[in-house]
Amino acid sequence: MSSGCPPQSPAVAKSEVAVEGECPLLAATFAYWDNILGPRVRHIWVPKGDQSMFLSDGEVTFLANHTLNGEILRSAECGAVDVKFFVLAEKGVIIVSLIFDGELKGDKNTCALSIILPQTELAFYLPLHTICVERLKHIIRKGRIWMQKGNNIISILSVEIVLIMKLLASMKTHSVPEDVDIKDTVLNDDDIGDSCHGDFLHTAISSHLQTCGCSVVIGSNPEKVNKIVRTLCLFLTPAERKCSRLCRADSSFKYDTGLFVQGLLKDSMGSFALPFRQVLYSPYPTTHIDVDINTVQQMPPCHEHTFNQRRYMRSELNALWKTDSEEDIPPETVIHTDETTLDLNLFQDVPHKDTLVKSFIDEVFMLKPGLSLRSTYLAQFLLLLHRKALTLLKYIEDETQKGKKPFKSLRSLKTDLDLRDEGDLNIVMAFAEKLRAGLHSFVFGKPFYTSMQERDALMSF
Amino acid sequence: MIGSPDVVAFTKEDEYGQANLDPWALPEEFSVPLHPLADSNPWAKTSYAKFTKDFILISEFSEQVGPQPLLTIPEDPKVCGTFDLNYFSLRIMSVDYQASFVGHPPGSGYPRLSFVEDSRVVLGDSKEGAFAYVHHLTLYDLEARGFVRPFCMAYVAADEKKIMLQFQELSFRFSQASECLKAGNRRAFAKELQRKLRDLEYTHSVLQREEGLQREAGPQCMYSAHAVEKANELANVEKSIYEHRDLLRQISSYHRRPRRDPQAVACQKCMSECLNECEELLEKYAKLAKPFSYTEKGEERQGQFEREGGEEEADEEDEEGVKRRPSYTPQLIKGKSAKCFDKRLKTLQELCDETFYEATVELLKETERSFRGDLCYLHTRRLEKALRRKQRVTNFLFEGELGDDDEDDVGTLRPFCAVNHTVNNYIHLNPPPIVLGPEPFELDALEPQDPLDPASEASHTQDSELGLGESHLESSPSDQTLETQESSEETKGSFSSDKSGTGPAEKRHSLASAKSEAPDPDSDLTPDPDHNTDLERESSSEDMETTAGEDDGEDGGGQTPVSLLEVPSDLEASKDDACEGSNESDLLVPLDTACCIAQDGFLYEASAPEAVPGLHQSPHLSQTLVVNQEPQALLPLQDDYTVGSPCAESPAAGLELPGNLLGDAVSRISDGSDCTMSASTGSDRAASPLGYGGVVTLRQRKKAGQGALRFVRQYPFAMQALWCLLSGRTLVVLGADEGRVRRLVSSLALFVPGPGKCAERVQAWLSCPFTLTDLHRWKLIGLQRVASPVGSSMLHSLSRYSRYISILDADLKTLRCPPYQGQLLANIADHRTYVRRGSTYFLHAQSTLCHLAAKAFLLTFTHHLHMPVSSTEGPEVVEGRRRCFLQEQLGLGEEDSQILLYLSRLITQQYLQPATGGAAAPPSFSFNYTTSVLYRI
Repeated sequence: MSSGCPPQSPAVAKSEVAVEGECPLLAATFAYWDNILGPRVRHIWVPKGDQSMFLSDGEVTFLANHTLNGEILRSAECGAVDVKFFVLAEKGVIIVSLIFDGELKGDKNTCALSIILPQTELAFYLPLHTICVERLKHIIRKGRIWMQKGNNIISILSVEIVLIMKLLASMKTHSVPEDVDIKDTVLNDDDIGDSCHGDFLHTAISSHLQTCGCSVVIGSNPEKVNKIVRTLCLFLTPAERKCSRLCRADSSFKYDTGLFVQGLLKDSMGSFALPFRQVLYSPYPTTHIDVDINTVQQMPPCHEHTFNQRRYMRSELNALWKTDSEEDIPPETVIHTDETTLDLNLFQDVPHKDTLVKSFIDEVFMLKPGLSLRSTYLAQFLLLLHRKALTLLKYIEDETQKGKKPFKSLRSLKTDLDLRDEGDLNIVMAFAEKLRAGLHSFVFGKPFYTSMQERDALMSF
Repeated sequence: MIGSPDVVAFTKEDEYGQANLDPWALPEEFSVPLHPLADSNPWAKTSYAKFTKDFILISEFSEQVGPQPLLTIPEDPKVCGTFDLNYFSLRIMSVDYQASFVGHPPGSGYPRLSFVEDSRVVLGDSKEGAFAYVHHLTLYDLEARGFVRPFCMAYVAADEKKIMLQFQELSFRFSQASECLKAGNRRAFAKELQRKLRDLEYTHSVLQREEGLQREAGPQCMYSAHAVEKANELANVEKSIYEHRDLLRQISSYHRRPRRDPQAVACQKCMSECLNECEELLEKYAKLAKPFSYTEKGEERQGQFEREGGEEEADEEDEEGVKRRPSYTPQLIKGKSAKCFDKRLKTLQELCDETFYEATVELLKETERSFRGDLCYLHTRRLEKALRRKQRVTNFLFEGELGDDDEDDVGTLRPFCAVNHTVNNYIHLNPPPIVLGPEPFELDALEPQDPLDPASEASHTQDSELGLGESHLESSPSDQTLETQESSEETKGSFSSDKSGTGPAEKRHSLASAKSEAPDPDSDLTPDPDHNTDLERESSSEDMETTAGEDDGEDGGGQTPVSLLEVPSDLEASKDDACEGSNESDLLVPLDTACCIAQDGFLYEASAPEAVPGLHQSPHLSQTLVVNQEPQALLPLQDDYTVGSPCAESPAAGLELPGNLLGDAVSRISDGSDCTMSASTGSDRAASPLGYGGVVTLRQRKKAGQGALRFVRQYPFAMQALWCLLSGRTLVVLGADEGRVRRLVSSLALFVPGPGKCAERVQAWLSCPFTLTDLHRWKLIGLQRVASPVGSSMLHSLSRYSRYISILDADLKTLRCPPYQGQLLANIADHRTYVRRGSTYFLHAQSTLCHLAAKAFLLTFTHHLHMPVSSTEGPEVVEGRRRCFLQEQLGLGEEDSQILLYLSRLITQQYLQPATGGAAAPPSFSFNYTTSVLYRI
């Protein structure tokens, strides 16, 4: 690290966060642009532990100030959160900064919430970037409200910063490797049904694919849970696997929003409670798989999930807006249902069967295990799905002139692209959604929103 | 009376819409939109940017005028549209990226060069809808403040996700470009230092002489003011000489410093060359510049300067035995330098050695091309490559070639060398990746070389090309130093300084440039009627959908003549090279023009089958040409089917392929029959890109997709035609109009399984009768209909072999073939399809063919379908099990089963005999007794 850093401002407050295991995060900072003094650091969070690993406070301050350089030119719309990402080889760090405007001491200031990692963690961090940014963005939304009300933003930010540190630490030790060996999965069984019931496996994989590869695997036996986690990860891309987490054998992690597949362990009573808010804030709907009782449930499709998520976010922000003091902030476990008519029963049985996964599962076990035959066949299956998704996307693109016209020929699409079964369509649509965010809402959104409006209107009487 | 409509008319629209506003409601700026724009149009996310497609911007933080754009890639101003480049340059250059001390540190005797690692920043302007990956670097300039000139290279896009998802690739490419630019800059800087030292030396000698003269002229112990001034000047020059020698020492130590940037990988040979040259200079000037003990020799030399009018003296050089043309005339340096704003700063080109500059610009152009287009296509392309690598055993069926050294391996850091240091070492082992530039991977580059190690220095081969010798001083664009260019009226070229595109780099990159031709216009059946500005960006994305793949395909095919299965032997390599133009003259066999009509082409000798299997009747085909041993017993399948030469090494060599029995004999017949064929070139050869022996690229395949959609729509019996091709029955397209026949062949070639890298299975245009052997070799033939005696013999051959072939008459629009009533092809051959564009149909066909290949793989490698489970089972039982599998498990009818059986045979053959040609060798010849039916429109 550079030694020529400016002296640390004595006013900078610092919190040490106790994180279990190795936390790759060096520090997190909150800085703002003081209209007289320029960039100022307000708060620093550092993981508690071996201090030799960490940056000095002066260096952290220097880097935090660094993130606001050039932001005097900022001309973003009010409320916009811009992301800056630095890789400073000279300093050996990467910095992720979220730049936003907020009210401090009666003035509108440009602020930056940043996390700092060593450059050696670049490959580790990059797949997790979207998760971290989306979570920080939401906490900034809450923080802006809190600042507007003249309160200290730090307490709001601290909650999420701590969680991010814990997430990164857990991913350091338990993330799924980029290349999953098929031998560690159910697909290496001699025959279908050896590890788990064939229909359960089919439903689990099918639902997993229908929910964009986002699943929670819950069970009492960590080995069993992890085997299913690895099996589901076979159907993800390498980058998505890096955003997936195995379950810990001794004690369970908490659910983390944004991961693709995560294994979670039940408590000694054999129960596990998924946090409503966090599951709802996941970018994609989630499949819930219980390996103890072989059940598979899934959340509503993307357009419904996004709609519910946004409504809930609005409720949460609204509740905060109406809160007067820090003591009155509702904890995250509280479900905001005052303004919405959310169905609290998030998960439902998998409603649609498919033929794509069904035939794959039936056929892959015909190939001899222990060789690379099954891996090859899996690769062919995934290639088929990716191509179908791209074809579907292009088909809709042609039909609607790139979204200029509404899409009205779903039936033709099903026929032309051989996606007559709803399950097949859902799987391919889910793949396409990951390629083109908002596709579900574009194709299915309008009737859904109309029905929601009608329902709300009826309920208001 | 006032009615309700009138009341409404008095109400403001916004108030009317928000009649029940809650005063405690959360303001929208603190909330999240319930229906964001992406929901109503997922394609509109990037539509509000003011530029039409992604571009690369090079900017500088000028010490005179501040941040300014220097050049864009591509240079077309339409690309940037109304986007304010000046403002954006200000934004991206206002990041304090280095924060390291430059200049003259306190306590240090001499100014220090700052060795700063590059930094990378992703930032954006959400209001403008512009996001950028910005790569900051500093170049050295003797005249600049602190000797550094800050530059940045930015990849500007409208999609933030695109940048973040490809951050490492972008970082890797721009690091290569930066290292190349900096290497060239160090050379230019060293040259400049050399010139400066010569000037200083000359100035010193002049001053010393003048001072001596004054001392002699004046009283012994009295110093005039003029003499004192001269003495001060002399001292300043001496100090300056020390400083510049120190700078030279510093720049030569650049290579020895530990790099903190893991992605900064430079060509080791370039580095050590530059190091050597700098050290030579250091040594030289340590000897030359001894101004304080200026001896008689110095006076002599001074006299020489005077006598020869300042011409370069050659004593030293003669002593060194270096024969160099003296070209640089030392200049007298004046005491006072020009003021900051009077001097002319060097342009980026002048700051860098020309070769390196041009190579950098080419590399950036290639980078821009490779990242062009919509993220979803780029992303899928990358995933596809990764997946296809795992299924090499079936890729030959319908997929394009897949290079072994694909550029996506970001984990492998390959240095980019502007002067092709490693080309000779590497070209035979691993063809250069196109996208990364002209320089192939240097094997030893990743190993840190000791720069002082004489062994590593022994490999210097190109000193004369890039050496810092005096003979090259004249060619430098920065010959004029600050002191010598008193009248530099030239203002700094701000925005059109890119003069690349000519010179050796251009030649070197000509292949890459040729590949990056204009994107396929994709003249679809129903073109978009309305294309506005934001759709233009999307259309550029669509270009990418084709161009990215095209580049890819051409890359893989054009420069990576690697067999579908890895075949390391030289024999295979030479066979692969048959498709490349480089060795064409050796491999092409001129045809006998006497027996050919309008023949001006060549047939590839290499394309002749080396082993042609025998004839088999269809009921027993699958039984004989399957893998009848358990796969694990055959070959090392654990990895990725790197089977090498299995015939020699594995138990599979013992497997009897009945097809080989007649192989040699038939092969000879085939060779003989070559002479009777004609591959004429018609006026519209371009209409049919296949069948000329060139590598079939993905772009051609996509164009074929467009034609195939047209065919499917026009001909209700398209399904039957496709079935013929996919089940291995040769399809002859007969017609009088060469263009039409070629177009049809080109369209249908998409469905020929295992067409071969050079489309050996397709004969686009034939003007003479064919033989039975030809039906082995070609699965799709375009045949000329002529009314001459030759024509009648052709018709005779058609009727003679009608049992084995299907005939598509392009003139009468009929198809004669066995009936097909299956369902497998219903989706790709439905003439009522709503698929609008050829590119979409291509994707759809690709999916379907991929599905077929997967099923064929399953059939091939499911061992119990080919082997008896117990010793009591006979072949009939196995055959029954196979039929049961096809009918019940896969739900296929008789005709559909034939497709899978044929594909399975091809896989088996490819798998067992990759060394004998695999895709080049035709499968066994099959026929059946089913009566053909004539289909009409």
